[in-house]
Amino acid sequence: MEINVVENVLKLNDEIAQLNRSMLRDAGTACLNLMGSPGSGKTLLLEKTLSALRDEMRIGVITGDLTTTRDATRLAAHCEHVSQINTGKGCHLDANQVRQGMATMPLDELDLLIIENVGNLICPIGFDLGQTVKVGLFSVPEGDDKPAKHPYVVLEAGVLLLNKMDLLPYVPFDMDLFLADIRAIREDVPIMKISAASGDGLDGWFNWVKRLVGSEVGELLET
Amino acid sequence: MHEMSIATALLEQVQALLPEAATLTEVRIDIGSLEHLDSELMRFAWAALVESEPAVKGSALTITRIATRIRCKTCGHAYEPEDAYTMLCPQCGAAHPEVLAGSGIVLKGLTVEQPTQA
Repeated sequence: MEINVVENVLKLNDEIAQLNRSMLRDAGTACLNLMGSPGSGKTLLLEKTLSALRDEMRIGVITGDLTTTRDATRLAAHCEHVSQINTGKGCHLDANQVRQGMATMPLDELDLLIIENVGNLICPIGFDLGQTVKVGLFSVPEGDDKPAKHPYVVLEAGVLLLNKMDLLPYVPFDMDLFLADIRAIREDVPIMKISAASGDGLDGWFNWVKRLVGSEVGELLET
Repeated sequence: MHEMSIATALLEQVQALLPEAATLTEVRIDIGSLEHLDSELMRFAWAALVESEPAVKGSALTITRIATRIRCKTCGHAYEPEDAYTMLCPQCGAAHPEVLAGSGIVLKGLTVEQPTQA
C-alpha cells in the first residue's frame, strides 16, 4: 500500500524554530546565529563584542560545543547571561537546544541574543534556530577558497566577516579571489574585514550589531 | 555529517504515519541539491537506524535529488546554476539569487504492507 505525504523532514525543528522566533519577537529581542569553522575566532569576536557593547545593550549568549564549558567561562567574564550547550557528538545546534538555552535567560530584559553555533560551516546551515539573521565568519588562515567550498553560508548570511586580517602578511591568501567567489554567489551581502585580536575593523561590526538591535526586529525576521 | 540526525527525524516522522500493525518496505524523500546531505550516508544512517525496529526493519530509503532553481532578483530570469558556488545569472550576469527550488528535505511517501486479514 502506498501512502503519499508531503512533510518537511525537519518539520519538528522548524516548528520549534518558529516558536523561538515568536518568543524573541514578543520579547523584542534580536537574535543572531554566528557560524564559522573551528578556530575561526567566534568566541574572541564575541568577547570583544560583549565588552564593547555592554553599556549600550543587554546581551545574552547561547554557545554550542561538543564538550567543555570553556567558551561559556570566557564569555561569562563579559556577560551575565551565558548558556553553554554541549552537543556530545552533534555537529550543530538545533532549535530545541536553543529553546532550552533561551529558557535560562530573562528574554524580556535582553536586546540581543547571540547564538554561537558549533564550529562547523556545513551542518549548522541546515537548521533554523529562530534567529533574526545568520552571520558567517571566515578567517584568513583557513584559506581564500572557503566561500566557494561553503557556498551555502554565503547564500544565507545577512553579513559575512573575514577575521584574522592581522595574519594576512604571513599566510598565502588571495583577497581578490576570496571576494570574487563571494560575489559570484551573492553580490549584495555585506563583507567586513576584521581582526578580533587587534581590534581592526571591529567598529564597523559593532555598528552593524547596533543597527540590528535598533531596527524593528519584526522587519528583519527571517521567515 | 548530520545525516544521522536527519535520518532520526525521518524515522520519528515515519513511525507516526505508519498504520497500526503495518510494516514499512520503502520511504521516499526528496533532497534539495543545496542541502549538505550525501545520499549514500543517508541510506547508511537509515539502514543502521531501522535495524532494531521490527516495523521498519529492512525498509529501503529512496532518494530523489531536486535540482537547484534560481530566480534572478535583478532581471527576473529563472535558471538552474551548474554549481552552488556560482549563482551568476546567465541572462544579466548578476549574482542576486532567490532560491525557487533545491533546498529542503521532504518526505514524499511510504510503501507499507498490511497484515492479511484473518
